[in-house]
Amino acid sequence: MATVNGYQGNTPVAASTTATAPKQPVNTLKTVDTQSVLKRLQSELMALMMSGDSGISAFPEEDNIFCWKGTIQGSKDTVFEGTEYRLSLSFPNDYPFKPPKVKFETGCFHPNVDIYGNICLDILQDKWSSAYDVRTILLSIQSLLGEPNISSPLNSQAAQLWSNQEEYRKMVEKLYKPPSA
Amino acid sequence: MEESTSMYCNLGILEKLNDESVQEIIESYNGFCATTNSLLNGGRDIAVGKEFVTHVRSLCKHGLQSLAHDHFLRSLEETFERTFVSKFWRHFDVYSKVAVLEKNKPLIYDDEVHEVLCKALEEICMEIQYQEKCLFMLVHAIESPRDCSPEGKPILDSEVQLFAKYQLMVSSVLMASLPPHFPEMLYWYFKGRLEELSTIMDGELEDENDSQDKDDMDLDEKGKQRTGEMDIDQSNNHGKFSEKSKLVKHIGKVVHDLRTLGFTSMTENAYASAIFSLLKAKVHNLAGEDYRSSVLEPIKTWIQAVPLQFLNALLAYLGESESYDSPTAGLKLPLASRPLCCPGTHNPSEGLVRWRLRLEYFAYETLQDLRIAKLFEIIVDYPESSPAIEDLKQCLEYTGQHSKLVESFISALKYRLLTAGASTNDILHQYVSTIKALRTIDPTGVFLEAVGEPIRDYLRGRKDTIKCIVTMLTDGTGGNPNGSGNAGDSLLEELNRDEENQENIGVDDGFNIDDKQAWINAVCWEPDPVEADPLKGSRNRRKVDILGMIVGIIGSKDQLVNEYRVMLADKLLNKSDYEIDSEIRTLELLKIHFGESSMQRCEIMLNDLIDSKRTNANIKATIEKQSLAGSELGEEGVSLGLLDATIISSNFWPPMQDEALIVPGHIDQLLADYAKRFNEIKTPRKLLWKKNLGTVKLELQFDDRAMQFTVAPIHAAIIMQFQDQTSWTSKNLAAAVGVPVDVLSRRINFWISKGIIKESVGTGSNDHLYNLVESMVDSSKNGDNTGSCEELLGGDEDGERSVASVEDQIRNEMTVYEKFILGMLTNFGSMALDRIHNTLKMFCVADPPYDKSLQQLQSFLSGLVSEEKLELRDGMYFLKK
Repeated sequence: MATVNGYQGNTPVAASTTATAPKQPVNTLKTVDTQSVLKRLQSELMALMMSGDSGISAFPEEDNIFCWKGTIQGSKDTVFEGTEYRLSLSFPNDYPFKPPKVKFETGCFHPNVDIYGNICLDILQDKWSSAYDVRTILLSIQSLLGEPNISSPLNSQAAQLWSNQEEYRKMVEKLYKPPSA
Repeated sequence: MEESTSMYCNLGILEKLNDESVQEIIESYNGFCATTNSLLNGGRDIAVGKEFVTHVRSLCKHGLQSLAHDHFLRSLEETFERTFVSKFWRHFDVYSKVAVLEKNKPLIYDDEVHEVLCKALEEICMEIQYQEKCLFMLVHAIESPRDCSPEGKPILDSEVQLFAKYQLMVSSVLMASLPPHFPEMLYWYFKGRLEELSTIMDGELEDENDSQDKDDMDLDEKGKQRTGEMDIDQSNNHGKFSEKSKLVKHIGKVVHDLRTLGFTSMTENAYASAIFSLLKAKVHNLAGEDYRSSVLEPIKTWIQAVPLQFLNALLAYLGESESYDSPTAGLKLPLASRPLCCPGTHNPSEGLVRWRLRLEYFAYETLQDLRIAKLFEIIVDYPESSPAIEDLKQCLEYTGQHSKLVESFISALKYRLLTAGASTNDILHQYVSTIKALRTIDPTGVFLEAVGEPIRDYLRGRKDTIKCIVTMLTDGTGGNPNGSGNAGDSLLEELNRDEENQENIGVDDGFNIDDKQAWINAVCWEPDPVEADPLKGSRNRRKVDILGMIVGIIGSKDQLVNEYRVMLADKLLNKSDYEIDSEIRTLELLKIHFGESSMQRCEIMLNDLIDSKRTNANIKATIEKQSLAGSELGEEGVSLGLLDATIISSNFWPPMQDEALIVPGHIDQLLADYAKRFNEIKTPRKLLWKKNLGTVKLELQFDDRAMQFTVAPIHAAIIMQFQDQTSWTSKNLAAAVGVPVDVLSRRINFWISKGIIKESVGTGSNDHLYNLVESMVDSSKNGDNTGSCEELLGGDEDGERSVASVEDQIRNEMTVYEKFILGMLTNFGSMALDRIHNTLKMFCVADPPYDKSLQQLQSFLSGLVSEEKLELRDGMYFLKK
């Protein structure tokens, strides 16, 4: 018995599955591109669902695959242990060539997160690469929680407090509001 | 009214009377009373008649005829009641107690009943005749003095009235004293007579059947003819004929006598019910348990031959006797009263026609009930039992009791078929037979719809339904080892043939006469039967489509196609040659029904096989050339010539069972060479071997024998390890073959059962020792082991499938869905059922895409709830924290 790799290349691929995919929200882009973005997001969703990473999760909103809701849990042995944060991910039409916009929906007392939930993370800005995906973004944010970049804070109060982990923990607990459903 | 006027007259007369005339009246009245008494009770001296007449006349002279009437009738009644009635009933007293018993053993008393009844009837009729004679005398006496009077009519009226009064008196007196067992007796009497007649007729019928070839008349004609034959002197029938007519005459006399007594309707009831019970017995007798012949015609013939003949003769006899007995005519029931077909003419009388219709309806109904009750059995041996179905169809057309069929059949189905004990295959076959059979009865499929529903519902609850359906559709035997259809033909082929036939017929009268056809169709339109479900569309759009109804069980053709794909894959992978003609044919048939696109993957699979054949030949040809030059491969005794590869495009095949396996070195080398060559020919493609799939033909040579096997690669790999080393521990062997120990011990059972390897407990607690059995002597010693091993082999079958089964696939799909559901609930907190459903539909575009119904999802979710992964509150699902 044998399997051929790459047979698919010269056989007609079954009719595109995108018939069931959501409508594209912005009409300015060429459909071909939108199709490939959709495909990419769908496969990312599939990969994320099947990966089974603990503590991170994301899912497209009701009928728009360009807007996702994400959830990350604070890692063990950090001041954020036992907390859970809701994120919003908004993908541009030329994803993955541009990074998605990621914000905290629930307030997060963190040196690199401002009061509006904006995140200062290099891979979401100038260090973005199309090799990243939702899963790596979420994992990066999860690890950012435990290892903030004190040198360029958005929240200077948090940055100052960071050195005192016990106090910081108390502050996190005081400000923490679990995301509502 | 008349009475009161006559009273008034009497009074007027009385006033005018003088003593002399009073004296005369008293005298003649006394004389009248005395003579009446002696006429009726005494010695019945007719001689008294003269005296009686004079007295009556003298009374009449004084206008007292009404007095005479009344007195005479009263004394008639008294006498009748006092003496004859009790005497008459006393004849039957013996049977009052027996009557109950008679139900059980009626025939014992039959002759006796007959005699007693005849005797009693004769006696009482004589009495009545005598009394009627006296009455005549009275009438005559009253009548004669008035002969001269101009009013002739009133006299006639009064005479008719008088007789009617008498008749009424007789029957009311008898009725009033009727013992309860008398109707029963009449019934048994008629039954006995009819049976006698039936036997005679049957004999006659056989004779006629013998001669039927000669005169070659159709049965109906013959039936009518037979009435005419009654007075045709046929020499060979003469004996029976006279016997028959004697019997009929006899019965006719009894009926006539009974009518004289005023028992007209009771008599009719009695012989009608006797006829019906006889007919019922006949139908049961003829129909019985045999469904392979049509019984409707014989029953009709019998009705024509026996009961109608009887009635005909009876009515004819009564008709003759009526001529001198006109007063009774007014009392008869309409059904039997008309004067009947005179012998010689062929027109059956109206009464007879009505009887025929009644009897035939009854026969149809009886047969229909009988067949409906046994419909289940009939359908079980359907193609053979089609005559019975045809009968039932005709009966139902007559009686229109389709709903009875539906109800009874559904309850039979529930009780006998849709039980845990019935195999899915049997249910499916019964379903197909049901469809075929009911299609005959009701081409519109309305009742089929109703009957099929419970079966479909039930089958949906069975796990192996799809598998059985696919097997049935595509396998040669129709999936049934003792299949009723012609073996070697799949259901699909049969369906296709049917369809082609239908289409051909359609084409014949199609095309140029379109308008005409449309008009004919329009004219032929009939409304749906009342039982039709209006939601399911009109009959015109509904064609009974067996395949459609079968697919309807599953709900979607995709599931069916998927199951077929798995089966096909399994079949193809286990083929050692590339012969796929039958598969191609099946696929083409399936394409007709399910469309090209849904069968596309299967088509690619078949194409793979065709390609494999070519590629395989190509590779072998080039490699053989090389190996001839090098010739180092030949040493091992296994050359590439023996290797046939099936090259599949795995994207289009169902998921394969993957199992690690280490094949012996030189084979592995061979595979690698083959793959290399493939790569050279088909760059950039590469072969990835699925070493655990396929088949190996091998021969084992021992000192005293050689054995050939066709086995799975793992079996071959195991046995090859014994080539160099005849004894292995299970742990070492497992390592050498590259499988876990438990898999090994399962697989090696094959060789143990063949008596080639012997298993013994080794040194370690769970380490077994396997030894090669070298000679027959050893293996026969081992023989007692085989029994248990074969059982183990049965358990092995699951693992032998090359392709993951559909159940496995579904389980895999479901885990995907579970992850999606958990994912969305993590991010959205709580969701309602339909939102989950919609979200899955939108985003779960895995392969295959989410295609479950809301109900399926709900049951899946409640499964997750019971696994404590989810929570359900107020219709919203939450993650269980």
